[in-house]
Amino acid sequence: MEQQVMFEAANLSKRYEDGVLALDDVSFTVRRGEIYAMLGANGAGKTTAINIFLNFIEPSGGEARVDGIATHRNPLEAKQRIAYVSENVMLYQNFTALQNLDFFAKLGGKTQYTKSDYRDVLMRVGLQEEAHTKRLKGFSKGMRQKSGIAIAILKDAPAILLDEPTSGLDPQAAYEFQRLLESLRNEGKAILMSTHDIFRAKEAADTIGIMNRGKLVMQKSAKELAGEDLEKLYMQYMAGHVN
Amino acid sequence: MFKLIVEKELKDIISSTKFAVTFGVCSILIVLSFYVGARNYQIGREQYDAAKRENARKMEGLTEWTDVREHRIFLPPQPTASLVMGISNDIGRNAEVRGRGELNPEDSRYGEDPIYAVFRFLDLDFIFQIILSLFAILFAYDAINGEKERGTLRLTFANAIPRSTYILGKMSGSFLALAVPLLIPMLLGSLILVMLQIPMQGDDWIRLFLVIVAGFLYFGSFLALSLFVSARTERSSNSFLILLVAWILSVMVVPRTAVLLAGRAVDVPSVDEIASKKSRLSASLWQEDRKKMADFKAPEGTQMKDLMQEFQKFMSKMGDEREAKMQEFSSRLNEERANKQRVQERVAFGLARVSPSATFSLASATIAGTGTQLKQEYKSSGEQYQKAFAEFMKGKTGMNMGGAMVFRMITDDNQAKKKPINISEIPEYQFQRQPVSASFGLIAVDLGVLALFNILFFVGAFVSFLRYDLR
Repeated sequence: MEQQVMFEAANLSKRYEDGVLALDDVSFTVRRGEIYAMLGANGAGKTTAINIFLNFIEPSGGEARVDGIATHRNPLEAKQRIAYVSENVMLYQNFTALQNLDFFAKLGGKTQYTKSDYRDVLMRVGLQEEAHTKRLKGFSKGMRQKSGIAIAILKDAPAILLDEPTSGLDPQAAYEFQRLLESLRNEGKAILMSTHDIFRAKEAADTIGIMNRGKLVMQKSAKELAGEDLEKLYMQYMAGHVN
Repeated sequence: MFKLIVEKELKDIISSTKFAVTFGVCSILIVLSFYVGARNYQIGREQYDAAKRENARKMEGLTEWTDVREHRIFLPPQPTASLVMGISNDIGRNAEVRGRGELNPEDSRYGEDPIYAVFRFLDLDFIFQIILSLFAILFAYDAINGEKERGTLRLTFANAIPRSTYILGKMSGSFLALAVPLLIPMLLGSLILVMLQIPMQGDDWIRLFLVIVAGFLYFGSFLALSLFVSARTERSSNSFLILLVAWILSVMVVPRTAVLLAGRAVDVPSVDEIASKKSRLSASLWQEDRKKMADFKAPEGTQMKDLMQEFQKFMSKMGDEREAKMQEFSSRLNEERANKQRVQERVAFGLARVSPSATFSLASATIAGTGTQLKQEYKSSGEQYQKAFAEFMKGKTGMNMGGAMVFRMITDDNQAKKKPINISEIPEYQFQRQPVSASFGLIAVDLGVLALFNILFFVGAFVSFLRYDLR
């Protein structure tokens, strides 16, 4: 039985005021229990797509839907179903990790959590216990990233948006993050991730899309890509040698 | 959701080191300003009592009411004037009452101790106008763009939160976090007033309360302005710079420019010009009177005693006529000047109200009773007293005071020594300050303008944020 579609880009286009076409008729879907990795160089349109899903910008054409809800028509409804982790998680520096979790969990509508729930999630993402009550000021990028992921987990949203989540993480942390993604997928979450990390994308994703100059130039499932050299393929698409 | 944003803002501000430092400094300054104000009041009170005693001492031992030549009235210190000084230190604190003529208050605090005029005193007007407005800017200049720079805005709006709720929560949270803690030093300051036994009446407490309300409205306007600028700019460094310029314009440039423009727009004759006109008339009247004096002749065979009485009457009548003419002329000139001054003042203050700082300054001085009205109130009550004093003296001497010559003939060297006059009979001068309710119209205008600044800036911030690029 086919899983429910959580993310859907339907002929999505975005032309900025300066005339730059950042997204050009992009279509894809991400179902529950699926990880979709968007690969592409800087300026390929990955972040633009994420911004449209978060309704930070409106599409010039087409629609971005979350659980069937068009994000620019009903943004608040759509956002209730999304958890988001940015490339550079910067939480409130004067708050401790627990205070940050408490604030963002409540912001996400989760008021039932206790301190022990927060601690459990922080442990799950690999943040040591002694860091839980420390202010974010002293956190490394990896620690902040883990806190951001903990916030996304706490929201317990069916759709998770990740913008370059492994950027700046050491290999160990990136590996742990991959395991975490897999467990979230197994819980039935739909995960849309933009990344430069071809290796992690191939390891974790069920579907990989390559974007170049606003176009989705390739979209293949992990099965279709089995045995293929993704890096080589990526370079070919970037160079425009494959249509 | 609104409550959550407010709570977050409260926690975020209060837990910062910046808050601890600035709050500490502000608290010390506020408590200090109350203490300095209270001590100034006590010193002012001692000086006032001493001056009154000295005035009475000068009349001690006088045996004739006609010898009462120098009688002075003194402006008593007011508790609220020590907290918001306004012009109270610039105007003369005592005036000689001669029974007729103009009152010229002299010996201002700054005139006596010019050192205080250089940097002025630490009072609530200074604390709110300079310190707390900067405090507001310091905490809110990056309220929106700073969150964007730090990435928390993006993360926040990845959740289902309406922008209107966020900006309202942000403003309310910032205001509560920054303004409410300042009530603690204010309360401590009030306690100091009680402990130092400053005689604060009900009216004084209302005044103090209204000054604090005006201060918070002013503080709120800078907070809202900071939020507005922060929602209009991409970088926090830019918003800080813009706000600093706005602060300089508001505190330094606009009030001075308004006065300058009003001075150009409405020409008010100078005091010297008026004095010169008066002195010209006085000289010409004296000239006429001298001729009349030369023409004075008593009927042949008049006794010396009768002659003196006759001459005294003649002089008194001439003096009264001259005084009446001078009075009429002076009143006209003074009124013309006062009218022009009022117009100039209205223009200056009207223009200055473009600046929240000037509006607050005007509001606080009016509330404390130390605005420009203080000079007029003192003068009016002095003039009223002068009339009462002149009536009293006429009753005692049978003559109008001032201008006339007194001839006294001692006919019997052996007569019993005369008893000194009872100077406690002289009516006492009481400075009747207008109750705060009398200035409520003026106060309401300024508080209204400050509230309007809050609304305008917040609406600006609100509208800007609805269109703000959250990326």
